[in-house]
Parts: sequence; structure tokens; C-alpha cells
Amino acid sequence: MNSRQFLIRDVLVLLAFTGWALALPFYASEFVTSMALTCLMYVALSSSWGLFCGSTRYLSLATSAFFGIGAYTSAILLGQFSWVETIAIGAGIAVLVAIVMGAAVLHLRGTYFAVLTFGMTELILHAVTYFEKTVTGTVGRVLTVVPERDTIYLTMLALALLAVATSIVVRRTRFGLALMGIGADEQRAQTLGVNTRLVKIAGFALTAAFAGAVGAAMAVRWTYIDPHTVFNPFIGFQTVLITLIGGVLTLWGPLLAAIIFSVLAESLRLQFPQIYLMSLGLLLILCVLYLPGGLASLRWATFKDWWNDSRDWARDIRRELSGEKEREKQRLKRREKESHFV
Amino acid sequence: MSLTAWLELIASGLITGGIYALVALGLNLQYGLMRILNIAHGEFLMVGAYLTWLVQTQFGISPLLMVPVAFFVLLGLGVVLHFLCFRRLTATSPNLDVFEARGLMVAFGLMFLVQNAVSWLWGGDLRGYDYLTEPVKFGEVQFAANKLLVFFLALVFAGALIVLMRMTLLGKGVRALMQSPIGAQLMGIDTKRLHPLMFGIGLGLSGIAGALLSMAYTITPYMGQPYTVTALIVITLGGFGSMGGALVGGLFLGVIEALGMHFTNPSLKALLSYVVFIAVLLLRPEGLFTRKSRKA
Repeated sequence: MNSRQFLIRDVLVLLAFTGWALALPFYASEFVTSMALTCLMYVALSSSWGLFCGSTRYLSLATSAFFGIGAYTSAILLGQFSWVETIAIGAGIAVLVAIVMGAAVLHLRGTYFAVLTFGMTELILHAVTYFEKTVTGTVGRVLTVVPERDTIYLTMLALALLAVATSIVVRRTRFGLALMGIGADEQRAQTLGVNTRLVKIAGFALTAAFAGAVGAAMAVRWTYIDPHTVFNPFIGFQTVLITLIGGVLTLWGPLLAAIIFSVLAESLRLQFPQIYLMSLGLLLILCVLYLPGGLASLRWATFKDWWNDSRDWARDIRRELSGEKEREKQRLKRREKESHFV
Repeated sequence: MSLTAWLELIASGLITGGIYALVALGLNLQYGLMRILNIAHGEFLMVGAYLTWLVQTQFGISPLLMVPVAFFVLLGLGVVLHFLCFRRLTATSPNLDVFEARGLMVAFGLMFLVQNAVSWLWGGDLRGYDYLTEPVKFGEVQFAANKLLVFFLALVFAGALIVLMRMTLLGKGVRALMQSPIGAQLMGIDTKRLHPLMFGIGLGLSGIAGALLSMAYTITPYMGQPYTVTALIVITLGGFGSMGGALVGGLFLGVIEALGMHFTNPSLKALLSYVVFIAVLLLRPEGLFTRKSRKA
């Protein structure tokens, strides 16, 4: 397939997915719709995360910070502004924070960057908590003006679509290529005339805009928010997890993983929350160890490799246990000795 | 403020600082030597604390005896974990950057796994037991005996690790590996044996810290994460890979926190440590006490 055919395929898949998601609330039960909403939220978050962090290999854990900022904006402003305006403002504030944060930390690489973004998220969480405690006197807010369920669902669908569409478009632009270049070799990209600092900040801000908008839209779903639920680092972890398990560099991997995860989460979380989180951890470890390219990199050959690996491993163990290895060593030694005599 | 109040404040800071130092030393050993940023480090501290609590309440064995037991149990656990996860990761990662990112992810997975396994087994309640609660007086100043013991033991073990690193052949090998992995391997240092052992010793130290903590404080399945974050702050303060720096940084952070909380307000504690952390990472990523600069 050439690149135009890829584009057509991607757009077609996106259209099919949209049609299906659009029809869902009209025939499915309340429970399934709420599951689909969570799913769409993670599609939007992980696609936009993969857009910047996947291609540049900057591991950002700050998603929950932008999400929380969006949620708080919506909680404070929703009475005075319309629904769309509120979401836009939420995204805007997240972008501003991302620009400041990005300017400060984007020159650091690797683990330093991951740890710093995590630290900044916690800093914002504690700062908001402290502010609420001392200035407003209460921690947490109740949202009184709430739009209808269908409005929330459609908004989230639009955001998810926008995230995937942005992902498709950005991959085909100079900006996307610059991001890929930074991921492959930052110094080389710089030498070739990419303004890496600007590109990185722009990419980071783009991710933040989506996270902020999603946060603003999801806040009304919960009707009551407090810093510990909306700035929960777990939102950031889960986004990273979904993207990694799906395949960081792929377009459809995060979407696939988001669907699997929301089904898993909704079915397990209420009855066995610990088992859900434990399986999450185990899945993450197994995925990093055995499937570093993500679910999207899964091919028939991968299964074959696993099968061969485990067969070799079992054969080794059998040889070891039956004493064959020991005998072979002795045979080798004897042969060596005999060759000395000759 | 009177002199005794000052003394009590600084001493209480030093006591928490001792625990910080012990946790940070273990984490630093893992990061400095193997580039594994073990974000699940605090969870193993929690496992050590639960182990001590369990044995103390079920069989009535003194928690002091449990300190070495916790060390060896977690050392074994660490060796097994290294064998299961990080050995394969080292073999399959194309370069150190990729290894670091993947190691971080595996550690996140371990964090979820361990934390929720413990909360599933024993529930999320606060647990604790009484041990040496009577106060001890030094002139005007008085402390709880268990906290003093905790501080003393934390310093002893931290000191023991530093002596091990400085004085023995094993420590020399580890330091050589930190300086130049390839050079050390060429000199005949066995990475395949040293890496699991050092990962295990790192976890063992957090097990000791957990056992000590359970003597003086209540424990929950979620107690680990704040200690991981504090340990990260401490090793940033002291410089990645520097053992003496971690010890001094831990004590220093304990005192800063105690003073800060006294003069401002307790809910600012977390905020304060994050501000210190971010400021240090941004301004001096190579650590406060290191002279030689290393590329961040």
C-alpha cells in the first residue's frame, strides 16, 4: 500500500468507528453507554498522548494535571459560560500551563522528564488542595448545572474523533515529521534545521489541549469533583499504559487497547477493584517484556516466536533435568584429554 | 523558641530523615548501578512493614528480630524479581535510554501489583502495634523510645551499606560498575551476579526501613508511595548514584520538612517537598552535593 491508500484506509476505519459509536446510545443499555463514554475518554487521551510522547519518546506523566485543570475550569465556569465555551476555555488554560511547564522541563530527557512531570502533577494537586482548604474553606466542588447525557456523549465522541483525526493529519505534515525526527535523534534533527524547542513545546501543548478538553467534559459526568479524583495520577498512568499496550507509534493500537481496557475496567472494577489493578500491573509488565511494540505489533510471527522460545526453554530444562547436559560436558572433557595424549 | 524546643524539632526531623536516608540508599543503589528507577520501591517498604506487623501480632516475636528477617526475605524477592523481569529487559533493550524507559514502566506495573495484592489480602485499614512506647528523657528533652531506636538502627544500616561500598572488594566492584560498566566487565567483574544481588540488597534495605517504621507508626497498603517520592527527592538532592549524598540528603530533607511544618502549616508538607524537588531538578540536576558534573 502506498501512503495515499493508507490515508484512505485510516479515514474509512475512522468513519466506520464514528458511525458505530454514534448509533450506540440509541440501542444499547445505560451501562453499555457509560462504558462507551469511558472508552471514548481514553481513546481521546491516549491518542493525543501518543501523538507527542510516542513519536518524540518523551514520557510525560502530566496528563492528569491537564485533565484536572480542565475539570476544575468546567466546575468553576459552567454556570457563566456555554458548554462549548467552557470546554474551549478548559483546553486553553491547559495549553497555557503546558507551555510554561514545557518551557521549564522539555530540555531534560528520559527518566528526568518522566519524574519531573509526575512531580509537577503532584505539585499542582497539592497546591489546589491547599488553595481550596485555605481560601474557599472546603475541598471539592459540586456541579449544579449539568448538560444532558447525550450532549456529554456526543462531545466526548467529537473529542475522540478530533484526537484520532489530528493524529492522522499530523503524521503527514512537516510538524509530525519533526516530532519523529526528535524521537529518533534530537541533535541530528536540530542540525537539519528543526527548531526542536518550539516543536516540542507545540507538541506538548497539543497533548495538553486534548487532556484539558476531556477533563472539562468529564467533570460534569461526576457532578462532584475534588482534587484527589481529578488530579489522580492514575489517570495519567492509565493513559500511558493504554498507549504502551496498544503500541505507541501506531494509530489504531491505542484505540484497540482503550476498548479492551474500558471493558475490563467496568466489568471488574466494582466487584474486585484490587484484582483489576493487579491484572493491570501484570499486563503492563508482560507487555513491556514480551510485546514492546504493543498490541498493534502483534502478528502471526509473534506467536510463532513465543512458541519457539518456550519450546527451546522447555527443551533446555529437560536436558538439564535428565542429566544430559552434565554427561555432554564430561564427554567433551574426556575427548579433550584424549586429544592431549595423541 | 527555647533551646529545648529547637532541639526537639531538629531531632524529630532527623528521625524521619534517617528513614528517608535508608529508603533513598536502596533506590540509589538500584538507579545508580542498573539504571532501574524503581518507582515500586516504597511498596516493598510496605511489604516489610506488613511482614513485621503480621509476625508480631500472630506469633508475638519481637519486631527487632524481624529486621534481619525482612532484609533477607526482600533480598530473595529482589533477586527473583530481577531474574524474572529485568534480566530479560537488559537482554532485549537496544540501548540504555530504552532500557530506562521500559524499566520505569515495569516498575509501575510492580507498584500496582504489590500495592493491590497487599490491600486485597489484608484490607485497606490502618494497622499497628505497641512497641517501646515509653518516653526517654535527655535532660529537658524527651523522645519516644521506639523512634530513637528506629533512628539509631536506620543510621547503623545506612552506615553499614556505605562501609560495604567503601571498604570491601564487593563494594569496589559495584563502584567500578557504576563508573564504567564496560571497563568493569573487562576487568572481570561479573555483572550477571552483581546486578541481581545489588537489586536484592536495595529491596532488602527498604524492607529494613519498613520493619523499623512499623515499630513507631501505623501502616497501610498505601504508605509506600510517599516514601518513594521522598526517596526520589533525596537522591536528586544527593546526586544520582552517590551514597554519601543520599545519607546527608535524607537527613537534610527530614530537618527541612520538620522546620517547614513547624513554621508554616502541616498541610504544606507535601507542597514543600515537591517545591524543593522540582527546584533542585531544574537548577542542579546533578545533585546538590556533587562537585563533578555529569550529563543529565
